[in-house]
Amino acid sequence: MISLALTGRRRSVRVPAARRHGAYRRPAARHTRGAQRTATWELGSFLGAAAAITAAFVLALAYLAGSTGVATAGYEAQRLQATRDELRRQNALLELEVAKLDSPARIEAEAKRLGLVRVPFIPVVQAAPLSARR
Amino acid sequence: MAGISSARLRAVFVVFAALSIVLSGRVAYWQTVARADLLDRARGQVLTDEVIPAQRGTIRDRSGNILAATVELRSLYAIPARIKDKPAVARSLGVLLGRDSGPILERLSARSDWVWIQRRLPETAAAAIAKLKVDGLGFLKEPKRLYPNEDLAAHALGFVNDDGKGQGGVEGWYDGILRGLPGKLVVERDPADRTIALGLREAVPARHGADVTLTIDLVVQTAAERELRATLEREKATSGAIVVLDPRDGAIRAMASYPTFHPAAVAVADPAAMRDRVIGWPYEPGSVMKAMTIAAGIDHGVVAPGTWYDDRGYADIGGRRLFNALGRAWGPTNMTQVLERSANAGAVFVGSRLGGQRLAESIRAFGFGSRTGVDLMGEAGGIVRPLAEWYPVDVGTASFGQGLTATPLQVAAAYAAIANGGVLHRPYVVAGWRDADGEHRTAPSAVRAVISPTTAATLRDMLVSTVDNGLAQAAKVPGFSVGGKTGTAQIPSPDGRYVDDEYISTFAGFFPAVDPTFVAVVTLERPNSRLLGTVAAMSTFRAAAQDTLRYARTQPDRK
Repeated sequence: MISLALTGRRRSVRVPAARRHGAYRRPAARHTRGAQRTATWELGSFLGAAAAITAAFVLALAYLAGSTGVATAGYEAQRLQATRDELRRQNALLELEVAKLDSPARIEAEAKRLGLVRVPFIPVVQAAPLSARR
Repeated sequence: MAGISSARLRAVFVVFAALSIVLSGRVAYWQTVARADLLDRARGQVLTDEVIPAQRGTIRDRSGNILAATVELRSLYAIPARIKDKPAVARSLGVLLGRDSGPILERLSARSDWVWIQRRLPETAAAAIAKLKVDGLGFLKEPKRLYPNEDLAAHALGFVNDDGKGQGGVEGWYDGILRGLPGKLVVERDPADRTIALGLREAVPARHGADVTLTIDLVVQTAAERELRATLEREKATSGAIVVLDPRDGAIRAMASYPTFHPAAVAVADPAAMRDRVIGWPYEPGSVMKAMTIAAGIDHGVVAPGTWYDDRGYADIGGRRLFNALGRAWGPTNMTQVLERSANAGAVFVGSRLGGQRLAESIRAFGFGSRTGVDLMGEAGGIVRPLAEWYPVDVGTASFGQGLTATPLQVAAAYAAIANGGVLHRPYVVAGWRDADGEHRTAPSAVRAVISPTTAATLRDMLVSTVDNGLAQAAKVPGFSVGGKTGTAQIPSPDGRYVDDEYISTFAGFFPAVDPTFVAVVTLERPNSRLLGTVAAMSTFRAAAQDTLRYARTQPDRK
């Protein structure tokens, strides 16, 4: 019985062919065959249940791993979004700083501070007469 | 015994069966009828319903320079119970914020669970405070409208109030475009206030405000404001205004009003300084109106540049005698000389020939008495009384700019019509805007043809002569032809008379006169200088024109 369970080979316990063809069959042998069938069914059920439990466990683990991964990725995405927003904010502040530094009024005041003065008149050289002379 | 046991068993069974039915009913009730309520209560514990604010659009000048932008600044708050050494923290904050530590300590010692220390900090101060890493101090980001050029073009830009609504100027007129539409976000949050990635998430994205581009040029605006401010301080004038526009399409290149204010600090601004004098200050324009009177006279064929009259220093009309400035008699004077000498009697001569009907129609055709339609908040239309209310003398006074009121922008638009060949354009300050749908450009709008191109060309020559040979010689710009006219108006007093020795001086002109690309009007209130303040107005005009022409790289048209 145990060896059957271990090997699972039905042929090893089969009745020899001569007996099978014989008219007489002993009750003990019939009983043994019924017990064997029950044992086989129990074994199959056990293995099936074990496989189902294992599969369910594996699925649950996979689902948990997936959920954890998504949640972690979600938190990472939020962190990256916050970083992006902060960089955009810093960029906007820098653009304003550039605009402030580029302001003509500030540049004029700075030029005055450096002692520069405005040119009263800028002579403009006419290009057409020059090119005609050439 | 067996019977009793059976009865007890039945009783117990009945009790349990009844309880089961009640419980099942209750469960069924919660699962069906009250399901929605239960779900709402459960979601309410983890769901947050947030408004996604729309970012207000940026305002730029015609070259793309930022004039106004919204950024998020950090606001400092405190949870007093978590701060251990309050006096030391208050001292540190006082140093970093440049404030007295006393009021800060008061806030930190308050019984409140949560208090603001200071809102919208400068970024450097916020960064320094963050480095302290004090438990119980934290930051929240809040939007703030910033103006990198400070009070430059303050009246044209307007400002944004504490509710985020634009007030005055472009901020007010284009508030709907600049403001955008806020969005909505519903998410599930964990106890650490982080969004649950697999939780419920419903989002309606915010529609950010459009970026607006103005016709104003930062360099021309800076020059105009610098010259106006310098003149007002030198002349000790009460107020003043300057406007520069392109006569070809009415695009405003610069507009400034003084006194002024800082749009980012309106809480401390003087309310009188917030009045935009370019569009919201109707005053009697005075002799600058003579150009419009003579234009109407030439256009209707009642006078020509060479038409002359004998100037006796005054003109009688409607039973009243109207005098020239300083009572001077010029003798035989033609129409060009009327402008050169700014002779009131000459303007009355033209007005009389036109008659009240045609004069009033011409004044209105030039845009006086109604708003120009400029895309700015707070424009005034000025007053030109209906012809039915005119007394006979009003034909005389209106012909030289008294008895009616106009804003500096209306005067500029009228001179632009003379400069561009006779077409009145609607002045505008926004060149276009860009939003999610793409680029929108403002189409220049011609209101009407006021005078014929020939009359306009004649008037231009007469006004150039006024600058070259007449009273407006202080407006000459070396190397360029300039046309223009001075104007001095008396200031009405509350008793209906005019105030003695106080004037509003104006100079309106265009340059280069051969093919005008700029029209400028300078107005000064109560200046203390000779020639009734017109010299100060002309010198301001000349300085602003010189800078504008230099910046625009305009080729000189004179030696």
